[in-house]
Amino acid sequence: MVAALMAVCIAGAVVLAWSDRITSGPIAEQKRREVVRSLTAVLPPHNNAPDQDMSTVVLDDGTEQTLYLARMEGQWVGTAVPVTAPDGYSGNIDLMVGVDRNGRLTGVVVLSHAETPGLGDKMITDEEWLPAFRGRTLENARWAVKKDGGDFDQFTGATITPRAVVNAVRHALEVCEKVCR
Amino acid sequence: MQHERPTGPVPASALTLSDALSGEAVAGRPALDVAPRPAFNLREIGDDFVRGVWRENGVFKQMLGLCPALAVTTTAVNGMAMGLATLAVMVASSSSVSIIRNWIPGSVRIPSFIVIIATFVTVVDLFLNAFAHDVHKTLGLFIPLIVVNCIVLGRADAFAARRSLPRAIADALGVGVGFTLALIALGAVRELLGMGSVFGISLFGDAYPPFLLFLLPPGAFIALGLMLAGGTYLAALSARGN
Repeated sequence: MVAALMAVCIAGAVVLAWSDRITSGPIAEQKRREVVRSLTAVLPPHNNAPDQDMSTVVLDDGTEQTLYLARMEGQWVGTAVPVTAPDGYSGNIDLMVGVDRNGRLTGVVVLSHAETPGLGDKMITDEEWLPAFRGRTLENARWAVKKDGGDFDQFTGATITPRAVVNAVRHALEVCEKVCR
Repeated sequence: MQHERPTGPVPASALTLSDALSGEAVAGRPALDVAPRPAFNLREIGDDFVRGVWRENGVFKQMLGLCPALAVTTTAVNGMAMGLATLAVMVASSSSVSIIRNWIPGSVRIPSFIVIIATFVTVVDLFLNAFAHDVHKTLGLFIPLIVVNCIVLGRADAFAARRSLPRAIADALGVGVGFTLALIALGAVRELLGMGSVFGISLFGDAYPPFLLFLLPPGAFIALGLMLAGGTYLAALSARGN
């Protein structure tokens, strides 16, 4: 009885080890390609490889924050900050936020989310919403959705998602403000 | 203990040539080695397949596996991807269960089957992540939950655990295809009512006002209920016609 169960478990472990060996390379490559794609989308024009030019800083609250640095001819032109909005409607919203050297937003993309299709996922499907962050700085905008007296649109029936994204982007700007200048 | 049949007695009518041949394995050798001759009845295999696709469809007839069926079917494409992932897990796990059925004592039957199913679900999860990354991003959360899809364990325990390999595969294929078709149908109805498109192709242009209810979880129940009611109505009509 025990032997049978053990045999099944050992066979399962062998199959899993084999699958992991085959897939770990492609999975890492897919993740890397995804990061590169998002970096290209949010950073100002650069000619280095930001995904290899990264540094890690420790924030005031003790958490570690990864930063990707964009350089043009060796000169620093912008920073990409991966941030997570933990307070979306369902699960985490992972974002990549690009900021230039003057603290101006150059782009925001969503890396992964589980928001409601048709409601919260308008942050992606509404083609004007994320681009509206471009050019904003900590000073030139009120960092809240319109319903809360800020400058950013919410969606009909979905306020939680935009609120979470706006807060996360502001957090990314604040990190830049402290660390990058 | 080691060579006991895994589950209760099989009705005599269910025993076939292939069962008799592959069921009495020589100790230490795979059951199938015993029968190099064609050990299956094509008609029976065909019936095993067709039964799962429609007559005993997991979602529409038995109301099983509703958690994945309702959770991921916001679009036809999502339904199809989830259905195919489940199909792959079912074929792999049912064949494995059928092959080892004579070596698994009844007392550790269910844990063994769950280990087998969980293994194949993880394999599918890894391969999707590596080679169909976009699909994995959409369905990622729900793939591991295939482990607890009662259709998968149900077919492994109620069918594959006491049938020959060809019959187990035919049954897994049939039930898996039935599940996939059900998810595509449910996804297509919800996508059509919710967004006015099917498989991402817009049917009414931008004029269609999105009907969000059908994209949200309650809409899944309502859409399934409407489809079942429609099916029952058609069945009643045709029964009266005869």
